[in-house]
Amino acid sequence: MTPPASDEDLEDTVNAVDEQHDVVITGLGVVTSIGIGVADFLAGLLTGRSGVKPITAFDVSGFAYANGCEVTDFDPAEWIERIDIAEVGRASQFSVAAARMAVADAGLASDELRGRRTLVSVGTTDGESHDLDTLTGHQLRHGPESLDTTMARRYPASRLATSVVRELGLTDVEAVTIPTACAAGNYAIGYGFDAIRGGDVDVALCGGADAVCRKTFTGFYRLGTIAPQVCQPFDRDRKGILTGEGAGILVMESLASARARGARIYARVLGYGLNCDAHHPVAPDQDSLARCMELAHRNAGIKPEEVDFISAHGTGTKANDTTEVGAIRQVFDAPPPTVSIKSMLGHSMGAASALASAACALALHESFIPPTVNHNETDPECALDCVPNQAREAELNVVQNNALAFAGNNAVLVLGRYRELV
Amino acid sequence: MTTAEPSTPGTLVRSAGQLVISAYTAVSPYGVGRAAFDDGVRAGRPATGALGEAWLPGPYAVAGLIPGFTAAGALGNKGTRSMDRATAIAVTTVRELIIEAGAAVTGQPEQVGLVLGTGHGSVQSIMDFTRDSLTGEKPYHVDPAQFPNTVMNRAAGQSAIWHGIRGPNTTISGGWLTGLLALSYAARIYRAGRCARALCGSVEEYSRQRAWLEFHARGGVSGTGALGEGGAAVLLESARGATEAGRTPLAAVLAIRFGAFGAPADAGTALAGCVRGALASAGAAPESVRIVSGVDDGGEFGAVERAAVRDALGGDGARWVSCRRLIGDTSAAATSFQLATALAVAEPGDLALVTGVDPDGATVGCALLSVARS
Repeated sequence: MTPPASDEDLEDTVNAVDEQHDVVITGLGVVTSIGIGVADFLAGLLTGRSGVKPITAFDVSGFAYANGCEVTDFDPAEWIERIDIAEVGRASQFSVAAARMAVADAGLASDELRGRRTLVSVGTTDGESHDLDTLTGHQLRHGPESLDTTMARRYPASRLATSVVRELGLTDVEAVTIPTACAAGNYAIGYGFDAIRGGDVDVALCGGADAVCRKTFTGFYRLGTIAPQVCQPFDRDRKGILTGEGAGILVMESLASARARGARIYARVLGYGLNCDAHHPVAPDQDSLARCMELAHRNAGIKPEEVDFISAHGTGTKANDTTEVGAIRQVFDAPPPTVSIKSMLGHSMGAASALASAACALALHESFIPPTVNHNETDPECALDCVPNQAREAELNVVQNNALAFAGNNAVLVLGRYRELV
Repeated sequence: MTTAEPSTPGTLVRSAGQLVISAYTAVSPYGVGRAAFDDGVRAGRPATGALGEAWLPGPYAVAGLIPGFTAAGALGNKGTRSMDRATAIAVTTVRELIIEAGAAVTGQPEQVGLVLGTGHGSVQSIMDFTRDSLTGEKPYHVDPAQFPNTVMNRAAGQSAIWHGIRGPNTTISGGWLTGLLALSYAARIYRAGRCARALCGSVEEYSRQRAWLEFHARGGVSGTGALGEGGAAVLLESARGATEAGRTPLAAVLAIRFGAFGAPADAGTALAGCVRGALASAGAAPESVRIVSGVDDGGEFGAVERAAVRDALGGDGARWVSCRRLIGDTSAAATSFQLATALAVAEPGDLALVTGVDPDGATVGCALLSVARS
C-alpha cells in the first residue's frame, strides 16, 4: 500500500488508497443507440449525439407517435463466438456482446479470466420480454399448443447473466440477474463492488441490458409518459421518455489486481447507496431519494460538496425530473452540474444506469461532462446547470450516478477519479 | 483450505458475527405458513393434485397449488384489486415471515433489506398486457393499473410497500438457483453494512401461461413432473442481532458457493467442487453432513446432482430430502423451498446442505447450514 503523501491525505477518503479493498473499473463494454464500443460511445457523448429514430422492433400502427432509441447497427455475430446466437434473445445478445467488449477492453485474456473467481451480475427491466411479445402474438393466432420451443426456453431473465458465463466459458463464477427494473444497472454494479471489497471474487462483470419491447412501450404510452419526438430532461417543454435499448458491462477488480497486471484504470468505485421508498408503485418520493444519495455519500466517504457532477436518472418526465431535482436540492446546498444522458440514449431501462456509469467512468478518465441535449429552456422547477447541448471540459474528482425504479427502488453510485500516486 | 479446526456442528451459531437464519416460512401447496409446511414435508405427504376448472385447459392436469389461494382471500379486498398472483404470494410470504420473526423485526424499516427471487415476474401478467395491446381497438387500450405487474421488481417492491420495508429492495433471478443467489445477495449486502437484517426468499406463481411456457421449454414432454407454486423466505441476521432482539438462531449460514459448467458432462464435477469448496471454507468434515436438500429434478441432472454430492461427501451417510417430489417444480422458488425443507426436517446440531444444478444456465450452487443445537 502506498503511504499517504501528507496528513491531509489521511483524511481525504477520495485520495486515500487501499489496494486490496479499493475497487476500480478497468474495462467497458457498451451497446447503445449512439454507438457500439467505447470509442464510438465516447465520441457520441462528446458530440451530443442523439439515438432517436422511429421504432421498428414491433408494429407501431395505432400509436399516434412511436419514436425510440433502438440499436440499429448491431450484428451479434461480430461479438458472439461460442454460443448459438439463435438460442439467446436480443437482450442477452446485448449483454454477451457488451461483456465480450468489456473483457477485451480490460486487456483480460480468456484463459486469465477463467482462472479467476468471478461474479457476473446483470440488471434488467424486461429480460427477454420482447420474446414474450412475439409468443403472445403467436398464441393469439395459433393457440398456446404450438409455441416456439427455442423462445420458450430463452425468455427468462436469468439468461442475461448465464449467457455471458457460457460465452466466456467461466466455471468459478457466481452468475445472477438482478431485475430491479430501471435502477438495475446500478444494483448490479454495486453488487460487484461489495463482492470485490469483501474479498469474495477477483473480477466482477457487472452492468445491465434490455431490448425494446411492445409491452413496455405500451405501458409507458398508456401512462402518458412517452415523448412524441425527443427526450428533453429538465426542459420546460419536456414531454416524457423515449424507450431505448442496449447494454453496458463494466469490468471491476481490486486496485491491487489492476496494478499487478498493469491495467488501464478508468475510475474508482467509491461506494453506493440503496433504499426503497415503500410508498407508491410508480411515483418517486423526494425525501427517500435524498436519503439514498446520503447513504451513497456516506458509503463512499465523501461530502456532497465534493461531487463534481451528477448523472441524473433524468428520464424527462414531469414527475421524475421535478422530484429528482428537489431531492438533489435537499442534499446539496449548491448542486453541481446535473446532466441526463437519456437525452441522447433514451431510457434503456435496466441498461440505463449501467450505461450512465460507463459514461461517468469515461468522463472521469477523459475530463469532461456529457451534455443534456435537446435543451431549449430550463424548467424553473428544475433550475440547475444541466450542461445544455454541449459537452464541457472539466477536471473531475467525484461523480454521482442516480437511478430510480418503479416501486421506489433507488440506487445511487459514486465514482472517483483514479490518480497514479508516485 | 485454511488451518481452521473442523467445527463441531452447531457451535458457530454462538459466534457473534456469524450470519444466522432466525426465522423461516413458506406459502406452499400445504397451505399458508410454516406450520402447514413443516407438517407436510416432515410427513413426506405429496401436495400436488388435479387442477380445477379455472386452470384448464392447459398442458398439465396436475400441479401443486396453494390451496384456495387468491390475492383478496389472503390479503383482503383493500389494495388487491389489481394485484396479480405472483405479487400476492410474495406479499403473503413476507407477512408470514414477519409473523414468525415477530412484528418488531421491521421496527426500524430503513435497516431492513428485502431480497426476493423471481423467474421472470408473472409471465401471465406480462403476456396478458401485450395481448390487450394486440387485441384492443387501439394498441394502448390497456389497463394502466396492470402495468406495474409486468415489471419484474413488482413482487419485491409491492411487498415493501405493503409491509413498510425501506432498506435495500432487490429482485434476483437465476433459474432453480434463484433462492441460493438471493441468500448470497442478502449475506453480502449485510456484510457490507447495507442493512441490519434481511428478509430473503423467492416466489413463483402457477398460471396457465407459465404452464404452457414450461411445457414448450421442456420440449413438449409432460412427463417431467408437476409444476408447483408458492413462496419461501428466511430472516437473515447476525447471531448477536438475533439474540439482542430476543430471536433464537435456527441455523448458521456457514458457506454459499456457486459455479458453472461448460458441457453437461461437467455438471457433476462442478457441483462436487462447489460442495467441497463450501465444506472447506467452513472447516467442516464431509462426513458430518446429515441432510442434503437437493433440486432433485427427477431426470438426468437430478441423478448427476445426487452422484456429485455423494462423491463430495464421501458416501451415503446423509439423509436426502426432496421437496420437489412433494410440492412440484416451483422454478425460481425451488432452492428457497429446499432451504425451508432442510430447516423443517433437520435435527438439532445437524449440518445441512442445500444444492442445485440448473441445466438451463449450466450453473451449480450450494449452501451449507449448521442447525442450532436446540
